[in-house]
Amino acid sequence: MAIFSYFYSENLSCMSKNLSELSGRKGLTNNLFEKMGDAAKETGTPSEERLNELSEEFLIGKASTYGTTTFYDFTKPENKNKKVYICNGSACVCAGTQQKVKETLLKQFTENEIGHMTCLGRCYENSAFHYQGKNFSGQDMLHFKKENLIQNNLLNYNIKATTPLLTIPYSGFENHYALLKKALNQTPDELLSEIKKSNLRGRGGAGFPMGFKWEACKNENNNTKFIICNADEGDPGAYSDRYLLEQRPHSVLFGMMVAGYITGAEWGVLYIRAEYPEAANIVQQAIDELKANNLLGKNINHSNFNFDFKIIKAQGAYICGEETALINSIEGQRPEVRTRPPFPTQMGLFNKPTVVNNVETLAAVYSIIKNGGADYAKLGTEKSKGTKLVCLDSFFNHPGIYEVEMGTPLSFVINELGGGFKIPVKAMQIGGPLGGIVPLEKINELSIDFESFAKQGFLLGHASVVCIPTDFPMMKYLEHLFEFAAYESCGKCFPCRLGTKRGHELTQKALNENYKIDRALFADLLNTLQQGSLCAHGGGIPLPVRNALHYFNKELKMYFN
Amino acid sequence: MNTAYINNNPYSFNAGESILAFVKRIEGNKIIPTLCDAPNLDPFGSCRVCSVEVALEKNGQTKTVASCHTPVTNGLYIYHNTEAIRQLRKNIIELVLTDHPLTCLTCEVNGNCELQEVAARVGITEVRYPEGANHLNRAKDLSHPYMRSELSKCINCYRCVRACDEVQGEMVLTMAGRGFDAHIAKSFNQSFFESDCVSCGACSQACPTSAISDVFQSKSIQATQKTRTVCTYCGVGCNLEVATVGGKIKSIQAPYDAEVNGGHTCLKGRYAFKFYDHPERLRTPLIKRNKKFEPATWEEAYDFIATQLTHIKNENGPDAIAGISSARTPNEENYLMQKFIRAVIGTNNIDCCARVCHSPTALGMQKTFGTGAATNSIEELEYTDCIFVIGANPSNAHPVTGAKLKQKLMKGITGIVVDPRKTDLAKYATYHLQLRPGTNVALLNMMLYYIISEGLEDKEFITSRCEGYEEMKAEILKLNINELEEITGVNKNLVREASIAYAKANAAMEFHGLGVTEHTQGTYTVQLIADLAMITGNIGKKGAGVNPLRGQNNVQGAADMGAQPHQGAGYLDVTNAEINHRYNQFYGAKVPSHIGYKIPEMFDAALNGKLKAMWIIGEDVVQTDPNTQKVMKALESLDLLVVSELFMTETAKLATIVLPASSFLEKEGTFTNGERRIQRVQKVVEPIEGTKPDGQIIVEIMRKMGYEQCDYTAENMLNEISQIVPFFAGVKWNELGKNGKQWPVLPNGTDTKMLHTKEFTRGKGKFFFYPFKESNEIKTYEKDYPYIITTNRELEHYNCGAMTRRTGNVEIVTEDVLLINPIDAQENKIKDGELVCVESPRGKVDIKAKITNEVKLGVLSSTFHFPEIMLNNITSNEHDSEAMCPEYKVVSCRIRKSKGKHLTH
Repeated sequence: MAIFSYFYSENLSCMSKNLSELSGRKGLTNNLFEKMGDAAKETGTPSEERLNELSEEFLIGKASTYGTTTFYDFTKPENKNKKVYICNGSACVCAGTQQKVKETLLKQFTENEIGHMTCLGRCYENSAFHYQGKNFSGQDMLHFKKENLIQNNLLNYNIKATTPLLTIPYSGFENHYALLKKALNQTPDELLSEIKKSNLRGRGGAGFPMGFKWEACKNENNNTKFIICNADEGDPGAYSDRYLLEQRPHSVLFGMMVAGYITGAEWGVLYIRAEYPEAANIVQQAIDELKANNLLGKNINHSNFNFDFKIIKAQGAYICGEETALINSIEGQRPEVRTRPPFPTQMGLFNKPTVVNNVETLAAVYSIIKNGGADYAKLGTEKSKGTKLVCLDSFFNHPGIYEVEMGTPLSFVINELGGGFKIPVKAMQIGGPLGGIVPLEKINELSIDFESFAKQGFLLGHASVVCIPTDFPMMKYLEHLFEFAAYESCGKCFPCRLGTKRGHELTQKALNENYKIDRALFADLLNTLQQGSLCAHGGGIPLPVRNALHYFNKELKMYFN
Repeated sequence: MNTAYINNNPYSFNAGESILAFVKRIEGNKIIPTLCDAPNLDPFGSCRVCSVEVALEKNGQTKTVASCHTPVTNGLYIYHNTEAIRQLRKNIIELVLTDHPLTCLTCEVNGNCELQEVAARVGITEVRYPEGANHLNRAKDLSHPYMRSELSKCINCYRCVRACDEVQGEMVLTMAGRGFDAHIAKSFNQSFFESDCVSCGACSQACPTSAISDVFQSKSIQATQKTRTVCTYCGVGCNLEVATVGGKIKSIQAPYDAEVNGGHTCLKGRYAFKFYDHPERLRTPLIKRNKKFEPATWEEAYDFIATQLTHIKNENGPDAIAGISSARTPNEENYLMQKFIRAVIGTNNIDCCARVCHSPTALGMQKTFGTGAATNSIEELEYTDCIFVIGANPSNAHPVTGAKLKQKLMKGITGIVVDPRKTDLAKYATYHLQLRPGTNVALLNMMLYYIISEGLEDKEFITSRCEGYEEMKAEILKLNINELEEITGVNKNLVREASIAYAKANAAMEFHGLGVTEHTQGTYTVQLIADLAMITGNIGKKGAGVNPLRGQNNVQGAADMGAQPHQGAGYLDVTNAEINHRYNQFYGAKVPSHIGYKIPEMFDAALNGKLKAMWIIGEDVVQTDPNTQKVMKALESLDLLVVSELFMTETAKLATIVLPASSFLEKEGTFTNGERRIQRVQKVVEPIEGTKPDGQIIVEIMRKMGYEQCDYTAENMLNEISQIVPFFAGVKWNELGKNGKQWPVLPNGTDTKMLHTKEFTRGKGKFFFYPFKESNEIKTYEKDYPYIITTNRELEHYNCGAMTRRTGNVEIVTEDVLLINPIDAQENKIKDGELVCVESPRGKVDIKAKITNEVKLGVLSSTFHFPEIMLNNITSNEHDSEAMCPEYKVVSCRIRKSKGKHLTH
């Protein structure tokens, strides 16, 4: 969900330089955040004794450990003793399946043992919930027994490609990494030049040219640098990163190693959401395989290139998809958004130069290195190159992941690939909760690329599609969006902390009471969020709301005066 | 080249300047409103109230950015007051007010609330949102003697969290939870009192509302007057802004424009001022008759003192009289006291508490460099890349400097801490050389050895600026390093690594405290520290040097002014005939040319009947000098003991006559801090009724005894001092300004940040070698008294505690405790909190055990802030061989669980 960072290229300083440095003394091998997560495993929140030990070990305040662990869904004291978590992501909400899930689970759990997780990436079949490190969805609920867990099918969705690059079948370890060995014979500059030629832009949503980012990091004079894979795919409706992590882990790892080789980083960190436990396991197996084949560690393949991986499991906070919040998170700080500059490439993880890339962006590196940047750049539109994964939810006849060339008409994706809608749909939210709400009438004017969406007043984002069925009140959807935005706001900046909450209250009041929202006030609220917010979380929420007000005024006007 | 536009007008900007700083500089402080920005904190970007519009061309397409953290770029057009921006600010504040109590009129910061001010400025007239969730019911935190919080007033600007982190470095405060429910928490969501708060008050001062405040309501606008003065506690020399209402002190804050402390200070400076009008303040002279104090008038007191002194002088000669001046009092009063003793009494028997703290520093540095004062300035921490702290715990004893050092160490600057205790700084340092108490000389010799044997000397510096190197080197290379390793108890490889780190640093800055000086080899240790600085070329450059952390606020000044028996005002040798002549001329009286008694010698002289009278100003020698029983006997054997004090201290109790003196808040003068900075102490309130400033008392006695002395004013006295103390030549009361001047001050008024830049005061820097010698204390008593107790200080208390024990500080730290290693405790069957009997060859005391890994096996540590404990009953007679500074840091003792005559208290 790195929609963030695009809007605000300004900024300065970080959270706590002291905490970054102190956490950095122990670094990744003895990681504060990981230890906090481990400490919470047993009961859902770390004990005071354990937090005290951590603050002594890391020379930080008790408050620093307490403040961090109260932030995350899976470490905060309020969630102590939660056992099972029901997905409340947009797709599951729209599908209306979750009440039934809850009723079913209540037969085996008490009300207090049931918590929420926002989007388990099962948007193609819904009814999603999480229990003991495993995700369940679709029909699983019917035969779920907490004593006897049957691992469900991770691949219960369609995968198709018109132009297969990311979805191309895995060629086996030897073949796959022959390309890496070949690449390590080239200079970092030669490889960087291919990346730049490809014009690959970040797939997290912001669309920043990856070559520039890598070059900026490469140019920093520092012995310690980091490559971070942002695998905190928190956008409800998106599961393409999950697909890549689970089905093409070696593509992601390959991209990170190339990034390390080019920039001079010796560590690759995969920050994987807690909601994707299977993905973390599969990626760990892939890392182990690399190790077993001597492709990690010192002087890899006699190239003088050193590299190692570390998986950091997230603990449930959507904001961690924002790259600076993610960096704070790995450091064990509260994942609040940092100001920029300095940019992560200058001063990122543990105050060292850091590249943060999305899963899909890193996975794209393989075909660029294989076929050359020029070849990659032949695909797509003038400014949006290559291919893009699009996720379709359960409202389509063929839910699944589709790889299409940039510039492919949206109508093709919806009708030809997705097979059209199962039931009547009035709009789609594309690109996550901060993406635009696209009414059906705009389908023919859009194609899958950054510019087309931006021009029409929407956002390609991560290209996830969540359908809003015709009978789902738009006001209820807005209330859901504001609730999500408020719940996931880090709380650092005033406009987002207060604005998302008041937005939620206004929509809730309008829905549930005889209350009409003052249009001028609402417009002021949206302006404040958009212009005033520190990052694109608060800054982005007005987009779908304004889309809705514009395209669904008829339905919504009864709530305003 | 560097041009940007504010409302289309071009101005040049500084590289890296934020838009906010740029606009403030050009158009003034209050042009752009902010809530999360603070003068001593990094930009943060949470409130967004400082948003402005920027464009890349004149009246071009704009983007909204927060000005506090957005750097100005060339050709940028900044519009900070457009309709859109005004509306945005108003909208943000409106949102803030949806979760803030609208009870301004009854709020303690009414009229001085930044939210209130910004709300008024942006023109809020109503809050349009319907009533929603809020946090108005948060309970007040009244748990702490000083700190207060009322978090319903919190606006989540993080200023307190950042102050606790970026300024004090304590990390007691955090935001907890997230989003709308994000809230300030202390430690594990505890009360101020239960938390790890060190009560520095940085959060309270940083808070823009009254969400965090203090019992003195220091942000209220009730005060009718604010006076800037200098703290009386330690040698850091924090500037304080003291607010008064109707001639009474209300509260203290730290001015942001103070070069020394930049808006920060510690709980002693900020909160521990209530001693000043404490009921126990002495308010009338007291003369002891039939073992009982009886009130007397000032006139009676003066007559009594003048008569007695004249009588003793006539009977026993002037050398039967001695004075101890006070390093807590201003330069001017110290100057007067030594002048009185020298010119009116006619003896050099004048000393001050520097004797028991930094006399070895002054002597050692004079011998090696030529000047007994810090070579560099604290602000140069910005330029150092290696911090070397030996025998000092500034986090407790010099908190503002300690906080600055901690900030640097936390950020990864190489740190070397030499200390028997695992101090706060030791935890953060790269190297902690945890040596056995008393082995500094051995350890420093190891460091010199490794620097030389690794070939890391600065040969150019040594050749061009120093002398005596080869002799020292030859001795060092003869040392048996394994033997020294054994002696110090520190792994030699660790010492080697630390030595290399110190030598290889571009600029290494040394700091030391009483852990260096209060030893039998104290002066030698200082000289070896100087060796280390010279051998690596760490003198005369920014971010380097040898920097003693002076203990008492004006201990530098007291020695500068001549309150020592061998050197008169300006460190001039009293035995030098030419100088003696000069003094005689200047004072218009015959000044003796033989060296007088140092403090320990005074006690010995009293005991053997040579000394008949003493005048002690503001120094509780009974409680704070070593070997209490001996000190008491010495004082009891005097014919006359005059004590000038604020309170009836243990020493005052033994006096023949007690004079009630005014505190620093009630008088004017100058204090000289540890970096030679002469700063103005200004009268905040009138002297408490019945008391007089020491300066005035001395002048009146001088006159009584027939000496013509002009009235005591700071200006008068500085005028006189500047004529006799060479490095004060250009010091004028009216020219000291807010931040003072660092001596030497040239006749034209120019001051000096760094000493020895081109050559040393003494010409060439001189290398010395001294071999390690075990203290007699250990040699004599090791067998029967196998433990070593070393004394230290608590953050909350100052020295004898006469002042801090009469403030809220005593509710935070209620007693002296004994730090003991868990294994030692177990072996002696001592549990945490139990009373331990600590016995030395001099006596025994009962102290409550605090079991901790802060001290190594066999080492104990405690404080002497409380007369109920009187730790100095057990400290020894050993002194530094050169300067006679007592060895408080190495005391042989044995321990057992107390049988408990004190068990009940």
